[in-house]
Amino acid sequence: MHPDEYREAGLAGTWSRQTVLSLAIFVVAWEVLSHLAPALGIPAFAIPSFVRIGRSLITITPIDVVVTLLRVIGALILSFALGLLFATAMYRSPKLESYLHPMIRLFMAVPVVSWILFAVLWFRGVEFRIAFVLIAVCGPVFLVDSLDAMRGVSRELRGMMRSFRPTTLQYFSKLMLPAILPNLITSWKINLSLAIRVVTIAELVGAVTGIGHQLAVAQELFSVADVFAWTLVLVALLFLLEAVVSKVEQRVLRWRA
Amino acid sequence: MAGMSGPPPIEVSQLRKVFRQAASGQAVVAIERLDLHIAPSEVVAIVGQTGCGKSTLFDLMIGLERPTAGSIIIGGKTPYGDFDAFRGQIATVFQQDRLLPWRSALDNVQLPLELLGVAGQARRERSMAWLERLGLAGFANAYPRELSGGMRQRVAIARAFVLQPAILLADEAFGHLDEVTAGELRETFLALARESASTAILITHQLEEAIAVGDRIIVLGKSAKLLADIRVERWTKSDHGVLREAIQATLQSNERDPRLV
Repeated sequence: MHPDEYREAGLAGTWSRQTVLSLAIFVVAWEVLSHLAPALGIPAFAIPSFVRIGRSLITITPIDVVVTLLRVIGALILSFALGLLFATAMYRSPKLESYLHPMIRLFMAVPVVSWILFAVLWFRGVEFRIAFVLIAVCGPVFLVDSLDAMRGVSRELRGMMRSFRPTTLQYFSKLMLPAILPNLITSWKINLSLAIRVVTIAELVGAVTGIGHQLAVAQELFSVADVFAWTLVLVALLFLLEAVVSKVEQRVLRWRA
Repeated sequence: MAGMSGPPPIEVSQLRKVFRQAASGQAVVAIERLDLHIAPSEVVAIVGQTGCGKSTLFDLMIGLERPTAGSIIIGGKTPYGDFDAFRGQIATVFQQDRLLPWRSALDNVQLPLELLGVAGQARRERSMAWLERLGLAGFANAYPRELSGGMRQRVAIARAFVLQPAILLADEAFGHLDEVTAGELRETFLALARESASTAILITHQLEEAIAVGDRIIVLGKSAKLLADIRVERWTKSDHGVLREAIQATLQSNERDPRLV
């Protein structure tokens, strides 16, 4: 999604009247349904009231939230570093790119569930498994976006920069990185929502901590209220992270305003 | 090149540049056996029609392209082969300003000094002094998008001069601006080039500009064939009309005009 679309969609922290109204309609509809459920033959636990969900929210264990958050941020930083490193190497060496490109396309076509199964079968450590899955899913996104952005840097600017004879490091730090920064921020936004979803599935399968694990526990206890509460936390976490990225974006890309 | 006392001469001999078209694989001769000698501190205008190889010559002179044959030798070194030896020695002004949009005017001017490793305070002072000389002191913190075309080109000129380079190259640097702005910038550029005693090479397709700026006008035909090498000082101001006419005729016929020999 383009950053402008994020802003328009009200996901960057702005609460339009429409956003508030649509949320209110959902809340009211849910609450009415929760009261009507027994009369409709639906078990009461399937659509819990907001009071029950609120009680679940109070019991949320912050440590699980922190663990999931750290896993997401850690893996995204690693994915970003690796993606940028490989993109730079591929930009500099078309031969390397010709070898790596098909492999990356293959990686991107592998379903998340397959990565999780590979991780469970190949590795022992839980943290390593989760990091592996997240990097396998998010790394190629960073790589492809960075490489495309590098190729998109105008020939004119590249010529101007080279005419001043920079070192390779200067060329990348003074031209390429700032030039591709808008694309990198968009990649972060895309990968944030991707990582939140993937980490939940990965934790669901192989972890004993984190939001994914708590969702698995809630499922075992048939507690829809707990599932709802943890899902709310996940969504809030994603919005919070996106808001942080949007703040960074506003600051570092103020030249575009 | 480091520690050079003045600008070195530029020797272009039997220069040839052939490009291969990506789609058809066909060879295109951009420059065919060009010989030129440019003396230190000379202000030279190179004129020619679109597609005659002027911009290719520009890229070869700044070392962005490798000659297919022949050579460009500046102070005993070649701009392509001895690329790093020319750090801080060659500065360029392009047709479009080519400012980095994420940098303020001051930061754009500072760029070449940053690349040379000039310390922060000295770098800022030197850059600010050049912005002031170009009448942009009040716009140091403005981003390129906040400046007019003429102001952006002034920043680009400041960025070139801040290096105090031995050689200045300008490729159609004023062609896209309105007549008044172009005239002002041309005069500023010329005054600064003369003051700094740099060798200045201006590539243009505008005869008026070439006559107004150059000590010498080099007229190139197709494939950068040397059609005329004119010392402007030999022509009095009243004869500039005849000179322009003769260059025009030379460019149209792609043959030497007897009036220019």
